[in-house]
Amino acid sequence: MDTAPAAKATVHAQNPPKRRALLFLVLPPALWLLCFLVLPYLGLFIQSFLGSDDLGNVVLEPTLDPWKAFFTKTLYRSTLLYTFKIALTVTSLSVLFSVPLAYFIAFKVRRWKELLYSLIIVPLWVSYIVRAYAWKIILGREGILNSFLQWAKITDAPVEAFLYSEWAIVIGLVHIYTPFVLMPVYTAFEQIPRSLVEASKDLGAGRLTTFFRVVFPLSLPGVIAGGTFAFVLTLGDFLAPVLLGGTDNLMISNVVQNLFGTSNDRPLGSVVGIVLLVVVVALLETTSRAEKSFASLESGRGRLGGAR
Amino acid sequence: MIRMSSWVSAAGLAVLGVVALGCQGEKKPEGAAPTGSAAPGASAAAAKPENPAEKFKGQTLNLLTWEGYADPKFTKGFEEKYGVTVKYTYFGSSDELVAKLKSSPGVYDVVSPSSDVAYTLMQGGLVEPIDTTKISSWGELADALKNLDDVKKDGKLYGVPFTWGPDYLIYDANVVKEEPKSWKVFYDAQYKGKVSLWDDISNIYLVGQIMGLDKSNPAALYNMTDEQLAEAKKKLVELKPQVRKYWATAGELNDLFKNKEIVLAVGWPLTVGTLNKEGSNLKGVIPEEGATGWIDRLMITSSSKNKDLALAYLDYVTTPKAQALVFEATGGYCVANAKAKEHMSEDLKKSPCVTEGETYFKRLNFWQYVKERKKYNELWNEVKSEKTTEAPNEAKSAK
Repeated sequence: MDTAPAAKATVHAQNPPKRRALLFLVLPPALWLLCFLVLPYLGLFIQSFLGSDDLGNVVLEPTLDPWKAFFTKTLYRSTLLYTFKIALTVTSLSVLFSVPLAYFIAFKVRRWKELLYSLIIVPLWVSYIVRAYAWKIILGREGILNSFLQWAKITDAPVEAFLYSEWAIVIGLVHIYTPFVLMPVYTAFEQIPRSLVEASKDLGAGRLTTFFRVVFPLSLPGVIAGGTFAFVLTLGDFLAPVLLGGTDNLMISNVVQNLFGTSNDRPLGSVVGIVLLVVVVALLETTSRAEKSFASLESGRGRLGGAR
Repeated sequence: MIRMSSWVSAAGLAVLGVVALGCQGEKKPEGAAPTGSAAPGASAAAAKPENPAEKFKGQTLNLLTWEGYADPKFTKGFEEKYGVTVKYTYFGSSDELVAKLKSSPGVYDVVSPSSDVAYTLMQGGLVEPIDTTKISSWGELADALKNLDDVKKDGKLYGVPFTWGPDYLIYDANVVKEEPKSWKVFYDAQYKGKVSLWDDISNIYLVGQIMGLDKSNPAALYNMTDEQLAEAKKKLVELKPQVRKYWATAGELNDLFKNKEIVLAVGWPLTVGTLNKEGSNLKGVIPEEGATGWIDRLMITSSSKNKDLALAYLDYVTTPKAQALVFEATGGYCVANAKAKEHMSEDLKKSPCVTEGETYFKRLNFWQYVKERKKYNELWNEVKSEKTTEAPNEAKSAK
């Protein structure tokens, strides 16, 4: 009983200089976040309740019109839903491609592991726009794919649906975001103790059973993290619809871009931005919880009836 | 371990912060130095005002213009005359111009708004009145353009006429053998998926023209009623299956034609001129319903830091010689200075701007200020977000 206050006192005595140092270290990033994250969002939030004049200047007249417009007009709702649909498609396909590929590299490859892994990462060094243009060249009416199909007599006329369509957007985005999914999935696979896999096999589980009941459940945090990357990045994408999309593939970021860059309707643009922000934050929160609950061997055991 | 790494990253950020601050601290005097040394230079120039060419030496003029309006073909002469640099940014639609100008004051010196937003820029105080006595070719510029009232306020003038031209129908004459008579060719089943429209609210004007709204009153296109807008939306949605892609820049339209993605489009003479030089066989035509057109003027921004240089540019670029080069570089945009034709090659003189200038001018319905611009923009977005449904009856209506 006697020692406790004394200990406390010494802690107190040590604290001030430490705290000051901590403050000094934390202050710059905190200021940075305040200036470039918190304040802009606050501004955006306030702006969403203001009106604007003909020239697009925001005027100090509180109004709920932008919010009403967002929730009553189908343009915004349907575009948001459509964007979710694209994001879900891109995420599922990216995961579908990444998991087998990452599994292959992590478990099956010995000698060329590093090389293979970097081959998948290398495309990340190429600019997004260059890759999108490459797809234009491949998928176009007289593009590489159509020329090949016609040469091989598989089709007798160019397939138009390849480019300037929803599929072009999905293909482009899956190509661009698959490395983002692959990296965390691969890392998750790498961290699985090989002894677990061996134990599973020793106990008579076949390859598939081992994969679905041991390996995959343990890689879930990586899959979730990667999936979140792909989903959130797709949600905010506006270039793919512009470069690869057709006439009816408007995504929500195109609307935001249009409201700020063309229609000059900043309040409504802010509304869409905030809605998107809320959706993304909620999503990140959910997935980070999900990740944590699958994070360790211990907790992973109970869920999914997995590695029991 | 975790604590350790967060400390390390915090320390890293702190170091970055310190470095950033340090940089700023150091930069300031450096940044101040040139302006300090420039002051005596400026006073030296003021001491001998008889040489105007020296006055601007080393300065940079920033243009914010439509594609093709900063072609080195004509800007080079200006750069050489004054020893300055011309930099440019292109905008792809009138709305983009307004947004860019508003969001980055002080960046651009000269803008080239069309007749739909010129009034908006003037009313919004974004541009400066222009002293026409400093424009040496002012007397030679077409009266029809000078007499327009939309860029005049309180007896002052805010825009110098530069060029004008149509948003006409462009077709690939190698594929479309017969010259299209009507815009309705866009709805023709045989060109399904081979049409391109501009990603801009001007499509609403276009459909309005197809609907015949401007027969009695040209301004009707720019002041449509809600019912007319609803009808226009329906027509634009009907057209969607025919459209391959909405082009956002003239460069993109060029690619669409070059890659044989499309054979019909709405576009500017710039596209025809550029691609035919590369061996395409494009033709432009004003269909029977007429076409909309634009009158582009040059304006000096009120936030410009180089207003004198900007005025010098306006003076230069409206001279007959420079205007002839503009005409050539843009592939035949009609230019404001009629004397320009004295400097044109025989081939270029065949352009309708030269041969039938006035009647050509009258055939176009020039863009006007749209009061409900927000509504037009929203409608256009709605059209784009609408999902395409097959409309099998369209072929019939095309005939």
